[in-house]
Amino acid sequence: MSPSRLSSSQLRSQSQTWRWRWIWIGFFLCAFAGIAWFFVPAFIIRPFRYQAPRALLVAMSLRQRAPIGTLIAALACFILAFALWKISSRWGKALLTFTLLVVTFSAVMARLNYFEWMFHPLPGPQFLAQSESKLGPREMIMSVRLGGDDRAYPISQMAYHHVLNDVVGGVPIAVTY
Amino acid sequence: MWTRTINGRVLHFYLAGINNQNFLMRDKETGTWWQQITGKAIYGPLQGAALDLVLGDELTFGQWRTESPSGQVLAPVAKYSKEYDPNWEPEVAKLPVVISFPGTELKSRDVVIGLTINGAARAYPWETFAKQSPVLDRVNGTPLLLVLGSDGKSFRVFVARIDGHDAEFFLQADTPVWALLDTVTASQWNFQGCATSGSAQGKCLARIPALKDYWFDWRNYHSDTTIYKH
Repeated sequence: MSPSRLSSSQLRSQSQTWRWRWIWIGFFLCAFAGIAWFFVPAFIIRPFRYQAPRALLVAMSLRQRAPIGTLIAALACFILAFALWKISSRWGKALLTFTLLVVTFSAVMARLNYFEWMFHPLPGPQFLAQSESKLGPREMIMSVRLGGDDRAYPISQMAYHHVLNDVVGGVPIAVTY
Repeated sequence: MWTRTINGRVLHFYLAGINNQNFLMRDKETGTWWQQITGKAIYGPLQGAALDLVLGDELTFGQWRTESPSGQVLAPVAKYSKEYDPNWEPEVAKLPVVISFPGTELKSRDVVIGLTINGAARAYPWETFAKQSPVLDRVNGTPLLLVLGSDGKSFRVFVARIDGHDAEFFLQADTPVWALLDTVTASQWNFQGCATSGSAQGKCLARIPALKDYWFDWRNYHSDTTIYKH
Protein backbone atom coordinates (compact mmCIF):
# COMPACT_ATOMS: atom_id res chain seq x y z
CA MET A 1 0.00 0.00 0.00
CA SER A 2 1.52 3.28 -1.01
CA PRO A 3 1.17 6.35 1.29
CA SER A 4 -1.22 9.00 0.09
CA ARG A 5 0.51 11.81 -1.70
CA LEU A 6 -0.39 15.44 -1.79
CA SER A 7 -0.78 17.04 -5.15
CA SER A 8 1.82 19.62 -6.14
CA SER A 9 -0.69 22.48 -5.69
CA GLN A 10 -1.53 21.23 -2.19
CA LEU A 11 2.19 21.08 -1.36
CA ARG A 12 2.64 24.64 -2.62
CA SER A 13 -0.23 26.04 -0.52
CA GLN A 14 1.05 24.13 2.56
CA SER A 15 4.51 25.72 2.25
CA GLN A 16 2.85 29.09 1.71
CA THR A 17 0.84 28.63 4.93
CA TRP A 18 4.10 27.87 6.75
CA ARG A 19 5.70 30.98 5.33
CA TRP A 20 2.82 33.13 6.52
CA ARG A 21 2.96 31.51 9.93
CA TRP A 22 6.64 32.44 10.22
CA ILE A 23 5.85 36.00 9.21
CA TRP A 24 3.13 36.15 11.87
CA ILE A 25 5.59 34.80 14.44
CA GLY A 26 8.17 37.34 13.32
CA PHE A 27 5.58 40.09 13.58
CA PHE A 28 4.68 39.17 17.16
CA LEU A 29 8.31 38.82 18.19
CA CYS A 30 9.07 42.32 16.89
CA ALA A 31 5.93 43.65 18.54
CA PHE A 32 6.86 42.00 21.83
CA ALA A 33 10.36 43.49 21.68
CA GLY A 34 9.08 46.96 20.82
CA ILE A 35 6.44 46.92 23.53
CA ALA A 36 8.57 45.35 26.28
CA TRP A 37 11.41 47.79 25.58
CA PHE A 38 9.27 50.64 26.84
CA PHE A 39 6.92 48.96 29.32
CA VAL A 40 9.45 46.89 31.28
CA PRO A 41 11.56 49.87 32.48
CA ALA A 42 8.39 51.89 33.02
CA PHE A 43 7.04 49.12 35.22
CA ILE A 44 10.27 48.72 37.19
CA ILE A 45 10.90 52.41 37.79
CA ARG A 46 7.61 53.48 39.24
CA PRO A 47 7.04 55.40 42.46
CA PHE A 48 6.23 53.56 45.69
CA ARG A 49 7.74 50.37 44.45
CA TYR A 50 10.98 49.01 45.84
CA GLN A 51 13.59 48.57 43.12
CA ALA A 52 16.27 46.00 43.75
CA PRO A 53 19.67 46.99 42.32
CA ARG A 54 19.59 44.32 39.60
CA ALA A 55 16.09 45.20 38.45
CA LEU A 56 17.09 48.85 38.32
CA LEU A 57 20.12 47.95 36.20
CA VAL A 58 17.89 46.09 33.73
CA ALA A 59 15.50 49.05 33.61
CA MET A 60 18.25 51.60 32.97
CA SER A 61 20.00 49.55 30.30
CA LEU A 62 16.71 49.01 28.46
CA ARG A 63 15.67 52.64 28.77
CA GLN A 64 19.07 53.79 27.52
CA ARG A 65 18.55 52.10 24.16
CA ALA A 66 14.78 52.31 24.06
CA PRO A 67 14.46 55.20 21.58
CA ILE A 68 16.37 53.37 18.83
CA GLY A 69 15.26 49.88 19.84
CA THR A 70 11.56 50.62 19.83
CA LEU A 71 11.90 52.48 16.54
CA ILE A 72 13.60 49.56 14.78
CA ALA A 73 11.06 47.11 16.22
CA ALA A 74 8.19 49.34 15.13
CA LEU A 75 9.54 49.67 11.59
CA ALA A 76 9.98 45.90 11.36
CA CYS A 77 6.40 45.45 12.61
CA PHE A 78 5.02 47.81 9.99
CA ILE A 79 6.90 46.03 7.20
CA LEU A 80 5.70 42.61 8.33
CA ALA A 81 2.17 43.89 8.87
CA PHE A 82 2.15 45.27 5.36
CA ALA A 83 3.07 41.81 4.08
CA LEU A 84 0.41 40.11 6.21
CA TRP A 85 -2.38 42.58 5.52
CA LYS A 86 -3.68 41.22 2.24
CA ILE A 87 -3.90 37.62 3.37
CA SER A 88 -5.51 38.40 6.68
CA SER A 89 -9.15 38.09 7.59
CA ARG A 90 -11.04 40.94 9.21
CA TRP A 91 -9.99 39.63 12.62
CA GLY A 92 -6.41 39.35 11.45
CA LYS A 93 -6.47 42.94 10.23
CA ALA A 94 -7.96 44.09 13.55
CA LEU A 95 -5.22 42.26 15.46
CA LEU A 96 -2.54 43.77 13.24
CA THR A 97 -3.96 47.27 13.69
CA PHE A 98 -4.25 46.97 17.44
CA THR A 99 -0.73 45.60 17.79
CA LEU A 100 0.70 48.32 15.56
CA LEU A 101 -1.02 50.97 17.69
CA VAL A 102 0.55 49.61 20.87
CA VAL A 103 3.98 49.31 19.22
CA THR A 104 3.72 52.90 17.96
CA PHE A 105 2.64 54.10 21.39
CA SER A 106 5.68 52.36 22.86
CA ALA A 107 8.06 53.91 20.32
CA VAL A 108 6.66 57.39 20.97
CA MET A 109 6.70 57.05 24.75
CA ALA A 110 10.30 55.81 24.66
CA ARG A 111 11.26 59.25 23.40
CA LEU A 112 9.26 61.22 25.95
CA ASN A 113 9.97 61.87 29.61
CA TYR A 114 6.64 61.36 31.32
CA PHE A 115 8.21 62.04 34.72
CA GLU A 116 8.40 65.63 33.60
CA TRP A 117 4.66 65.58 32.92
CA MET A 118 4.13 64.68 36.58
CA PHE A 119 6.78 67.07 37.87
CA HIS A 120 7.36 69.93 35.50
CA PRO A 121 10.91 71.22 35.41
CA LEU A 122 11.63 74.85 36.14
CA PRO A 123 12.29 76.51 32.80
CA GLY A 124 14.86 78.99 33.99
CA PRO A 125 14.96 79.98 37.65
CA GLN A 126 13.80 83.45 38.52
CA PHE A 127 14.56 85.03 41.87
CA LEU A 128 12.84 87.49 44.12
CA ALA A 129 14.12 89.87 46.72
CA GLN A 130 13.02 88.91 50.22
CA SER A 131 10.58 91.80 50.36
CA GLU A 132 8.80 90.45 47.28
CA SER A 133 8.46 86.90 48.57
CA LYS A 134 5.17 85.76 50.06
CA LEU A 135 6.72 82.94 52.10
CA GLY A 136 5.75 82.67 55.73
CA PRO A 137 8.59 82.93 58.27
CA ARG A 138 8.20 79.30 59.34
CA GLU A 139 8.21 77.82 55.85
CA MET A 140 11.27 75.66 55.21
CA ILE A 141 13.85 76.59 52.62
CA MET A 142 17.12 75.12 51.43
CA SER A 143 19.81 77.77 51.47
CA VAL A 144 23.20 78.04 49.86
CA ARG A 145 25.93 80.64 50.02
CA LEU A 146 28.55 80.58 47.28
CA GLY A 147 30.90 83.24 46.02
CA GLY A 148 28.98 86.08 47.62
CA ASP A 149 25.56 84.88 46.39
CA ASP A 150 22.93 83.94 48.97
CA ARG A 151 20.02 81.91 47.60
CA ALA A 152 17.01 80.22 49.17
CA TYR A 153 14.91 77.50 47.52
CA PRO A 154 11.54 76.90 49.22
CA ILE A 155 11.06 73.22 49.93
CA SER A 156 7.38 73.43 48.99
CA GLN A 157 8.51 74.29 45.45
CA MET A 158 11.49 71.95 45.25
CA ALA A 159 9.39 69.05 46.50
CA TYR A 160 7.44 69.45 43.27
CA HIS A 161 10.12 70.31 40.71
CA HIS A 162 12.65 67.94 42.36
CA VAL A 163 15.69 69.16 40.45
CA LEU A 164 16.87 72.61 39.46
CA ASN A 165 20.01 73.57 37.54
CA ASP A 166 21.30 76.88 38.85
CA VAL A 167 24.49 78.92 38.91
CA VAL A 168 25.30 80.47 42.27
CA GLY A 169 28.31 82.74 42.68
CA GLY A 170 29.59 81.46 39.36
CA VAL A 171 29.35 77.80 40.45
CA PRO A 172 26.94 75.56 38.52
CA ILE A 173 24.93 73.54 41.06
CA ALA A 174 22.01 71.15 41.05
CA VAL A 175 19.45 71.80 43.78
CA THR A 176 17.58 68.60 44.56
CA TYR A 177 14.80 67.56 46.85
CA MET B 1 22.83 70.02 46.53
CA TRP B 2 25.58 69.03 44.15
CA THR B 3 28.03 70.75 41.85
CA ARG B 4 27.31 70.12 38.18
CA THR B 5 30.86 70.03 36.95
CA ILE B 6 32.64 66.75 36.27
CA ASN B 7 36.13 66.75 34.78
CA GLY B 8 35.69 70.34 33.75
CA ARG B 9 32.39 69.66 32.00
CA VAL B 10 29.16 71.30 33.18
CA LEU B 11 26.19 68.92 33.14
CA HIS B 12 22.47 69.72 33.01
CA PHE B 13 20.25 67.34 34.96
CA TYR B 14 16.66 66.32 34.48
CA LEU B 15 14.27 64.07 36.38
CA ALA B 16 14.39 60.54 35.00
CA GLY B 17 12.72 58.30 37.53
CA ILE B 18 11.89 57.56 41.12
CA ASN B 19 14.10 55.09 42.99
CA ASN B 20 12.93 53.94 46.40
CA GLN B 21 11.63 57.35 47.51
CA ASN B 22 14.55 59.26 46.08
CA PHE B 23 14.82 60.16 42.47
CA LEU B 24 17.01 59.33 39.54
CA MET B 25 18.30 62.01 37.26
CA ARG B 26 20.09 61.96 33.95
CA ASP B 27 22.33 64.52 32.36
CA LYS B 28 21.53 65.91 28.93
CA GLU B 29 25.16 65.77 27.87
CA THR B 30 25.83 62.03 28.22
CA GLY B 31 22.56 60.41 29.28
CA THR B 32 24.23 58.97 32.38
CA TRP B 33 21.94 58.02 35.26
CA TRP B 34 22.66 59.61 38.67
CA GLN B 35 21.26 58.83 42.09
CA GLN B 36 19.91 62.04 43.63
CA ILE B 37 20.67 61.18 47.25
CA THR B 38 24.29 60.09 46.75
CA GLY B 39 25.29 62.22 43.74
CA LYS B 40 26.82 59.12 42.18
CA ALA B 41 26.55 58.05 38.55
CA ILE B 42 25.12 54.55 38.63
CA TYR B 43 24.78 53.75 34.91
CA GLY B 44 25.92 55.14 31.60
CA PRO B 45 29.04 56.72 30.10
CA LEU B 46 30.03 58.47 33.34
CA GLN B 47 29.28 55.49 35.58
CA GLY B 48 31.33 55.61 38.77
CA ALA B 49 31.73 59.40 38.80
CA ALA B 50 30.59 61.31 41.86
CA LEU B 51 29.33 64.88 42.11
CA ASP B 52 30.77 67.12 44.83
CA LEU B 53 28.44 67.99 47.66
CA VAL B 54 27.58 71.66 48.09
CA LEU B 55 27.08 72.61 51.72
CA GLY B 56 23.62 73.98 52.27
CA ASP B 57 21.14 74.39 55.08
CA GLU B 58 17.55 73.56 55.79
CA LEU B 59 16.26 76.63 57.60
CA THR B 60 13.04 78.44 58.12
CA PHE B 61 12.58 81.43 55.83
CA GLY B 62 12.57 83.66 58.90
CA GLN B 63 15.90 82.33 60.17
CA TRP B 64 17.50 82.62 56.75
CA ARG B 65 16.26 86.20 56.36
CA THR B 66 17.99 87.31 59.55
CA GLU B 67 21.25 85.69 58.45
CA SER B 68 21.19 86.70 54.80
CA PRO B 69 19.27 89.96 54.52
CA SER B 70 20.28 90.53 50.91
CA GLY B 71 19.68 86.99 49.75
CA GLN B 72 17.32 86.04 46.92
CA VAL B 73 14.46 83.57 46.95
CA LEU B 74 13.45 81.25 44.13
CA ALA B 75 10.31 82.70 42.56
CA PRO B 76 7.26 80.44 42.38
CA VAL B 77 5.98 79.75 38.86
CA ALA B 78 2.37 80.88 38.67
CA LYS B 79 1.03 77.98 36.58
CA TYR B 80 2.36 75.42 39.10
CA SER B 81 1.17 77.24 42.19
CA LYS B 82 -1.47 74.55 42.82
CA GLU B 83 1.35 71.98 43.10
CA TYR B 84 3.32 73.92 45.68
CA ASP B 85 2.05 72.75 49.02
CA PRO B 86 3.40 74.53 52.09
CA ASN B 87 1.94 71.68 54.13
CA TRP B 88 3.83 69.05 52.16
CA GLU B 89 5.27 67.38 55.26
CA PRO B 90 2.07 65.83 56.62
CA GLU B 91 1.08 64.89 53.05
CA VAL B 92 4.34 63.05 52.41
CA ALA B 93 4.11 61.36 55.79
CA LYS B 94 0.93 59.63 54.59
CA LEU B 95 2.56 58.08 51.50
CA PRO B 96 3.29 54.35 51.44
CA VAL B 97 6.74 53.30 52.55
CA VAL B 98 8.50 51.09 49.99
CA ILE B 99 10.79 49.27 52.42
CA SER B 100 10.99 48.88 56.13
CA PHE B 101 13.58 47.72 58.58
CA PRO B 102 11.92 45.81 61.39
CA GLY B 103 14.12 45.14 64.35
CA THR B 104 15.40 48.68 64.61
CA GLU B 105 13.95 50.83 67.34
CA LEU B 106 12.94 53.59 64.95
CA LYS B 107 9.78 53.51 62.85
CA SER B 108 9.98 53.96 59.11
CA ARG B 109 8.56 57.48 59.01
CA ASP B 110 10.47 58.74 62.04
CA VAL B 111 12.44 61.80 61.06
CA VAL B 112 16.17 61.74 61.66
CA ILE B 113 19.16 63.94 61.01
CA GLY B 114 21.63 61.82 59.08
CA LEU B 115 25.33 62.51 58.63
CA THR B 116 28.49 60.69 57.69
CA ILE B 117 32.02 61.29 58.94
CA ASN B 118 34.66 59.57 56.82
CA GLY B 119 32.21 56.86 55.87
CA ALA B 120 30.74 56.29 59.35
CA ALA B 121 27.02 57.10 59.29
CA ARG B 122 24.84 58.11 62.22
CA ALA B 123 21.18 59.01 62.52
CA TYR B 124 19.87 61.38 65.20
CA PRO B 125 16.15 60.95 65.88
CA TRP B 126 14.61 64.39 65.46
CA GLU B 127 12.47 64.20 68.60
CA THR B 128 15.47 63.33 70.75
CA PHE B 129 17.62 65.96 69.11
CA ALA B 130 15.00 68.69 69.48
CA LYS B 131 14.60 67.94 73.19
CA GLN B 132 18.32 67.77 73.93
CA SER B 133 19.72 70.47 71.65
CA PRO B 134 22.58 71.35 71.69
CA VAL B 135 23.69 67.75 71.22
CA LEU B 136 27.34 66.83 71.65
CA ASP B 137 28.50 63.62 70.09
CA ARG B 138 31.54 61.91 68.64
CA VAL B 139 31.52 60.03 65.36
CA ASN B 140 34.61 58.32 64.01
CA GLY B 141 36.77 60.35 66.39
CA THR B 142 35.30 63.71 65.35
CA PRO B 143 33.56 65.76 68.06
CA LEU B 144 30.22 67.07 66.79
CA LEU B 145 27.82 69.78 67.83
CA LEU B 146 24.23 69.54 66.57
CA VAL B 147 22.12 72.62 67.16
CA LEU B 148 18.43 73.42 66.79
CA GLY B 149 17.65 77.03 65.95
CA SER B 150 15.54 79.27 68.14
CA ASP B 151 12.66 78.69 65.70
CA GLY B 152 12.59 75.00 66.63
CA LYS B 153 12.93 73.95 62.98
CA SER B 154 16.27 75.10 61.57
CA PHE B 155 19.28 72.94 62.37
CA ARG B 156 23.02 72.83 61.79
CA VAL B 157 25.89 70.49 62.55
CA PHE B 158 29.40 71.67 63.39
CA VAL B 159 32.74 70.16 64.29
CA ALA B 160 33.11 70.94 68.01
CA ARG B 161 36.71 72.09 67.81
CA ILE B 162 38.22 75.53 68.40
CA ASP B 163 41.77 75.91 67.09
CA GLY B 164 42.22 72.17 67.09
CA HIS B 165 40.94 71.70 70.65
CA ASP B 166 37.79 69.74 71.36
CA ALA B 167 35.18 71.94 73.01
CA GLU B 168 31.80 71.54 74.62
CA PHE B 169 28.93 73.92 74.06
CA PHE B 170 25.94 74.92 76.14
CA LEU B 171 22.93 77.05 75.53
CA GLN B 172 23.32 80.38 77.27
CA ALA B 173 20.40 80.95 79.62
CA ASP B 174 18.68 84.25 80.29
CA THR B 175 19.84 86.16 77.27
CA PRO B 176 17.65 88.13 74.87
CA VAL B 177 19.70 86.90 71.91
CA TRP B 178 20.09 83.15 71.33
CA ALA B 179 23.71 82.13 71.95
CA LEU B 180 25.91 79.17 72.84
CA LEU B 181 28.84 79.26 75.23
CA ASP B 182 31.89 77.07 74.86
CA THR B 183 33.85 75.50 77.71
CA VAL B 184 37.31 76.28 76.31
CA THR B 185 37.25 80.03 75.67
CA ALA B 186 33.88 80.99 77.22
CA SER B 187 33.03 82.82 74.01
CA GLN B 188 29.51 83.38 72.73
CA TRP B 189 28.58 81.63 69.50
CA ASN B 190 25.66 82.29 67.17
CA PHE B 191 23.58 79.84 65.15
CA GLN B 192 25.95 80.21 62.21
CA GLY B 193 28.70 78.73 64.37
CA CYS B 194 30.68 81.95 64.64
CA ALA B 195 31.91 83.51 67.87
CA THR B 196 30.39 86.94 68.44
CA SER B 197 32.27 87.79 71.63
CA GLY B 198 35.08 86.47 73.80
CA SER B 199 38.60 85.42 72.93
CA ALA B 200 37.39 83.32 69.99
CA GLN B 201 35.52 86.22 68.46
CA GLY B 202 35.54 86.18 64.69
CA LYS B 203 36.28 82.45 64.47
CA CYS B 204 33.77 80.04 62.99
CA LEU B 205 33.31 76.33 63.57
CA ALA B 206 33.64 73.98 60.63
CA ARG B 207 30.30 72.84 59.24
CA ILE B 208 29.23 69.25 58.57
CA PRO B 209 26.65 68.49 55.86
CA ALA B 210 23.62 66.74 57.34
CA LEU B 211 20.36 65.55 55.90
CA LYS B 212 16.92 65.64 57.47
CA ASP B 213 15.33 62.43 56.23
CA TYR B 214 12.93 59.62 57.07
CA TRP B 215 14.53 56.76 58.96
CA PHE B 216 13.68 54.12 56.31
CA ASP B 217 15.29 56.19 53.57
CA TRP B 218 18.43 56.98 55.56
CA ARG B 219 18.78 53.34 56.58
CA ASN B 220 18.24 52.17 53.00
CA TYR B 221 21.26 54.11 51.77
CA HIS B 222 23.39 53.71 54.88
CA SER B 223 23.05 50.10 55.93
CA ASP B 224 25.80 50.42 58.58
CA THR B 225 24.35 53.51 60.21
CA THR B 226 24.38 53.79 63.97
CA ILE B 227 21.61 55.54 65.86
CA TYR B 228 22.32 58.28 68.39
CA LYS B 229 21.29 57.38 71.91
CA HIS B 230 21.68 59.40 75.04
